[in-house]
Amino acid sequence: MMIFTHTQKPSRPKRQLDDSMVPAINIVFLLLIFFMIAGHIEARNADLQIPASSSEGELVARDIEIQILVNGEYYLNGQKIEKSLLASLQALAPSAESVVTCHIDRNLPFSALDPVLSAIRQLNIKRLQIATEQRL
Amino acid sequence: MLLNNLAPRKKTISITPLIDVVFILLLFFMLSSTFNQKKQLEIKHATSGVSQSEGEAVQIVLQPEGVVEVDGAQYRVGEQSFAQLLNTIAENDSHVRLSARASVSVQSVVELIDMGYQAGITQLNLSESVE
Repeated sequence: MMIFTHTQKPSRPKRQLDDSMVPAINIVFLLLIFFMIAGHIEARNADLQIPASSSEGELVARDIEIQILVNGEYYLNGQKIEKSLLASLQALAPSAESVVTCHIDRNLPFSALDPVLSAIRQLNIKRLQIATEQRL
Repeated sequence: MLLNNLAPRKKTISITPLIDVVFILLLFFMLSSTFNQKKQLEIKHATSGVSQSEGEAVQIVLQPEGVVEVDGAQYRVGEQSFAQLLNTIAENDSHVRLSARASVSVQSVVELIDMGYQAGITQLNLSESVE
């Protein structure tokens, strides 16, 4: 005759349950540190997708920054330009050594760059930088 | 006196709130961080020196659908002959005046500038769109 003894599983103490979570928390911590160190946080704008290039030149923040959004709005150093770009640029009193950085949406027609090109030519600015994204 | 009851009892701190916070931080960093680095293409507008080399400057006009007009002759962007032409321009150290039709997208112009720089062209001037 066989006797089946129904052994009840002992209820595990709460402390042990926490211990089994420790490897998972370790991984989460590692991921957190990875994203904190490897990535960098910046404001993203869906209306400004800069073109891709294979250029190696690092983008350094300059004193004059022009943004051209996909809807055709011009921003100079973060402020929307209501009047002409030339007049707004002139107000900043740029010298010949000034560098203009231009963030332009990749889907815009090339004519959107015309006001910038003519303004920097008239103000005798020699260096224009077009911000691009590294092609992955 | 019931002092014995007040003796310090080893109490385990619940780590669940800590994990919650760590998870929220992880989500924040995962969603907001970007990994692609911003680069730049520099165009040096030699506004003062352009007059002397104006005559020998190579005029490149980018047209829609990948057609490039170099001093009147038409090429396609992907063509071998166009790549050779860019190399020749770079070897001669000629001045390039680049322009594009108004309807050409910024991305294609940037790609052409990129091609030029990779071929070794150093003197590149970008001018306003042409009709």
